[in-house]
Amino acid sequence: MATQANVARQVRGGRYEPLPARSRKSLLRRIGDNRTLLLMCLPAIVFFLVFSYAPMPGVWIAFTNFNYRDGIFGSPFVGLRNFEFLIQSGQLWLLTKNTILYNVAFIVLGNILQIALAIMLNEIRSKYFKKISQAAMFLPYFISVVLVGVIAFNLLNYDTGVVNALIEQSGGDPLKIYSMAGLWPIIIILFWLWQSTGYGSIVYFAAIMGIDNSLFEAAAIDGASAWQRIRYIILPSLKPTFIILLLFSLGGIMSGNFGLFWNLVGNNAALFQTTDIIETSVYRMIISQNNFTSSTAVGLYQSLFGFALVMTCNYVVRKINEDYALF
Amino acid sequence: MTAVVATKRPRKVKAGKDDLVLRGISYLGVTLFAAFCALPFVFIVSASLSSESAIMRDGFGLLPNEFTFAAYEYIFKAPQQIIGSYVVTITMTVAGTALGLFIIAMTGYALQRKDFPFRNGISFFIYFTTLFSAGLAPTFIWISRYLELRGSYLAVFLQLLMTPWLIILMKNFVRSVPHEIVESGKVDGAGDFRIFLQLVLPMMKPALATIGLFLALGYWNEWYLSSLYLGSTVEFKPLQYHLYNLINTANALRNSVAGSNVSITDLPSNTLKMASAVVATGPIVLVYPFVQKYFVSGITVGAVKG
Amino acid sequence: MRKSLVRTGAAALALAMSVTALAACGPGGGEESGEPTEITMLVLGDKPTNGRLEAMLEKLNVRLEEEANAHLDLFYVEWADWQTQYNVQLLSGDDNVDLITTATDWLFAWENAEKGAFLPLSEEMLQENAPKTWDQVDAAGDWDLTKLDDGQIYFIPEDNFTQWTNHGFFYRGDWATEAGFEDGTITKFEDFTTYFEWVKENQPDAYPWDIAGPNDAALTGYLQGHTDGQTIQQVSAGIYFPFQTTESDPYTVSSWYMEGDELLEAAELAKEWNDIGVWREDALNYDGDTREEFFAGLSGADQHHTQTFVGSIVDNMTKKQPGSDPKFFYWGQENGNYFRDILTHGAMAVSANSANPEKALEVYDVLRNDEEAYKLLNFGIEGTDYVMTDDGKLGYPEGYDSSTDALGSNFWGGRMDEFEPDRVTDAPNKQEIYDELDASAKDYEYSTLVVNKDLIDPTLAAMGGVLSEYIPQLQYGKFDDPAAAIDEMRQKLNDAGYEDARAAIQTDMDAWAEERGLE
Repeated sequence: MATQANVARQVRGGRYEPLPARSRKSLLRRIGDNRTLLLMCLPAIVFFLVFSYAPMPGVWIAFTNFNYRDGIFGSPFVGLRNFEFLIQSGQLWLLTKNTILYNVAFIVLGNILQIALAIMLNEIRSKYFKKISQAAMFLPYFISVVLVGVIAFNLLNYDTGVVNALIEQSGGDPLKIYSMAGLWPIIIILFWLWQSTGYGSIVYFAAIMGIDNSLFEAAAIDGASAWQRIRYIILPSLKPTFIILLLFSLGGIMSGNFGLFWNLVGNNAALFQTTDIIETSVYRMIISQNNFTSSTAVGLYQSLFGFALVMTCNYVVRKINEDYALF
Repeated sequence: MTAVVATKRPRKVKAGKDDLVLRGISYLGVTLFAAFCALPFVFIVSASLSSESAIMRDGFGLLPNEFTFAAYEYIFKAPQQIIGSYVVTITMTVAGTALGLFIIAMTGYALQRKDFPFRNGISFFIYFTTLFSAGLAPTFIWISRYLELRGSYLAVFLQLLMTPWLIILMKNFVRSVPHEIVESGKVDGAGDFRIFLQLVLPMMKPALATIGLFLALGYWNEWYLSSLYLGSTVEFKPLQYHLYNLINTANALRNSVAGSNVSITDLPSNTLKMASAVVATGPIVLVYPFVQKYFVSGITVGAVKG
Repeated sequence: MRKSLVRTGAAALALAMSVTALAACGPGGGEESGEPTEITMLVLGDKPTNGRLEAMLEKLNVRLEEEANAHLDLFYVEWADWQTQYNVQLLSGDDNVDLITTATDWLFAWENAEKGAFLPLSEEMLQENAPKTWDQVDAAGDWDLTKLDDGQIYFIPEDNFTQWTNHGFFYRGDWATEAGFEDGTITKFEDFTTYFEWVKENQPDAYPWDIAGPNDAALTGYLQGHTDGQTIQQVSAGIYFPFQTTESDPYTVSSWYMEGDELLEAAELAKEWNDIGVWREDALNYDGDTREEFFAGLSGADQHHTQTFVGSIVDNMTKKQPGSDPKFFYWGQENGNYFRDILTHGAMAVSANSANPEKALEVYDVLRNDEEAYKLLNFGIEGTDYVMTDDGKLGYPEGYDSSTDALGSNFWGGRMDEFEPDRVTDAPNKQEIYDELDASAKDYEYSTLVVNKDLIDPTLAAMGGVLSEYIPQLQYGKFDDPAAAIDEMRQKLNDAGYEDARAAIQTDMDAWAEERGLE
């Protein structure tokens, strides 16, 4: 059977391939030798081909005046017209700035809080307390963002919002929160932390659990204080986890948590200055303006910019320490 | 068994003053944060048990205002819609999680095998999709005009099967399975797929539980793809999309300038929305304690350790 | 042996995945001759679940089978996210939908026709498959209202149905009387300040005007009553219609967003209202049902068009708020700057992807012109869904509850006056209102104007983006300094290419006017 396959390969190779016989053979052999593993990857490869790669040529829309009749590649070509105003109006810059700043805030604050929480969780001795508190921390993860928007409105609205009720009870004047653009970065970040810190802390908690016990024992013998234990043992051992998570977040630095932003802010233009990110803007262009071209233009910019950013970061990381590079 | 289970740290023999302070802070911090996380959920539940007029007047509170089950009664008076949505969502969640998990595990395993020459190429092929994507409109056009999947549950089901992040996470999990196991399998003459199926997979229960939970949550909480690819083409909308519609209908209607005489009197009220929210969220929350054990230890193992 | 079995399994799974993904689920297609053709019509609205629609369709299909050898099914674009859903439905190229409800003002028929969503309808095709419709529209001379610059017809107008869809305020006469208005009648837009202030002070449970979501009602209401601007329906930027002409200079294209002080006056009034607390502070994010709140006495005003007022507001308010004396103030009432309904506020297009466009037209012809089919589709089954009263009005059977028993077929693309009886729920003074409107309403002159937008589409898109940022905030009085905000908006609109777009439309306007020997 093996011989048969080899013959077949040679025949096929002889017909098509002008390459020297040896290297050709070795690639084919490599495929042959790993056919099972390749087959195991095939569903995933097909998946990404079909749902991620195949639509990519469609970004051509960004350079056309798209219409249904002529389709993506038949619609009139307009060059960079769709980008002009986006750039000129400063909108693209605003979106880039907002998107990146939010992600940076998420990464920095998220990681600090997650690590702190993980260290605290590690100090908890009661098994039940740990279990219940962990369950509570995961709760937000189970609540669909659709609901998060409703919760936020009921907490923050001017007339009946819980927050304003508390302010009034303590004698203050209620805040017009849904017109205060300056406040929203804080609100969005709080909701994001609320939603994702619980999960994130578990990842760090797990890393702490993985630390070799003898390190702690040695520290105890040396009379290290609790703070020293954190400073010199726990934090350094979290570094690899942190870097991997960091790099992964970097990959998504130009995208955002669309569902969260959309459900919190929606169409409230008064808040866009501080809350509009690329993905909400793309979505709004399509839903309320029926504008597929500019939306694709923004999307294309997002991909290119993000790609360049990640490649650069990865290159730098690879220079510093190859182990930490993503690829 | 060995490397896969996180070891429990033995109790410290003597605790100094600083240890006690740290422990105090820890209990306080964890309690506060847990409360912070649980609080909004309390608001929803209490609102769903309040009377409509009380909500309109006073807004939400920690405790039900003018306690009533009216909203729940209303939902279960005509439960077809929500039951249909349940069936759709549960089916998708179960089937999607099972299929997705299998494919992800298989891929993660193959990509982790050091002797697999294409692992870097394929890994990059997968990772690249997080960097560059076609975007909303082109993807939509591709899936609906070319694959003709719009209006089919498959459009939602298939797109949620896997993500690059989950595959890479799985790859890390598999790393903790000792290589000797693969070797011993090879010595016994087992093929790669059999090694995976019979030797590796059983060792990865916590990992499967963790990634399975992610997948399941992805399916359970899905509303966005449904709104694009299903809209009103299907009789029963996935649960969260059904909820999204409930919440947004009044809003949408008011903004319309439609023909005439639109009946809007049967639109859901505040408490009804909240009760629907509880009904839509409740089950997955109830399932969680049962997988919590695997879940937490699963992450512990996966523990992205580079 | 087993090894290869396992391997085959893996391969099969992989294949299965690719096949499911690639093969897709195309429609069956290929109907046998003789079998009735299934025609699907897209309508807007929430699909009713009370079973009445299905019962009606069953009867209707018997009739349709006789008349056109076809069956009708309805496809609903639901109200939640209806704009997204409508756009996305057209973008998807779905070939299961044959007839599409459209409108030039609120469903962007021109945009969608230009984008190629609708099948161009040749005269022969219409004459052959929808002869009655063809004759009626032709006799009225209305086909020109539905042509693009290629001279082709793209949709069928609902041109034989009297309706008034001019917008305005619904308010309460009883409260207005107490607020000091004679007869409880308000006749000027600014006078609502007095009314709202009175409601704020004397009706603690009610918002003076509970309104929500992105909206431009307060601005448009003022602009229409304080300028002689007439909005050009053919050109939209996003969801806004930024181009106008004026009555005094009817062939010069301008924009009330760009020129004059009226926008600022409107914005300042809106700010005054916002400061009084006329609407919820969080109106933009609120998603409750404000009309229900008006019915419940929790809002002093509501905003929509005449048709809603005579068909639903009066009836509901009379029942739910006895003595509330509901009244209607329409935009442009003070200066007579309001318009007779355009004849394409409702229209029907054939989908460019329809597999059976001829049959679709045949079905439409029956729905529009066959009295039995028309009544079934629009009113339902007599005795169950409606009854005819002794005085010839359309009423409802005993125990009928319009909130749960509505038919909801929402056929808004071909209603006919001759088949429409008065309804018991109509406002008693419906005819008076109509007569009053009719007395001084203006005609929309530009129905046959065709604007070529190929070159200005990106500009319009950019303008739409700017407007969607500023208009809602001006409308709700959210800028501390409306004058500065308007300057900023105008600057951005200029940057977006307003002048180019205006000039392009002006060119088409000039050609159009010249052709007709105007000015």
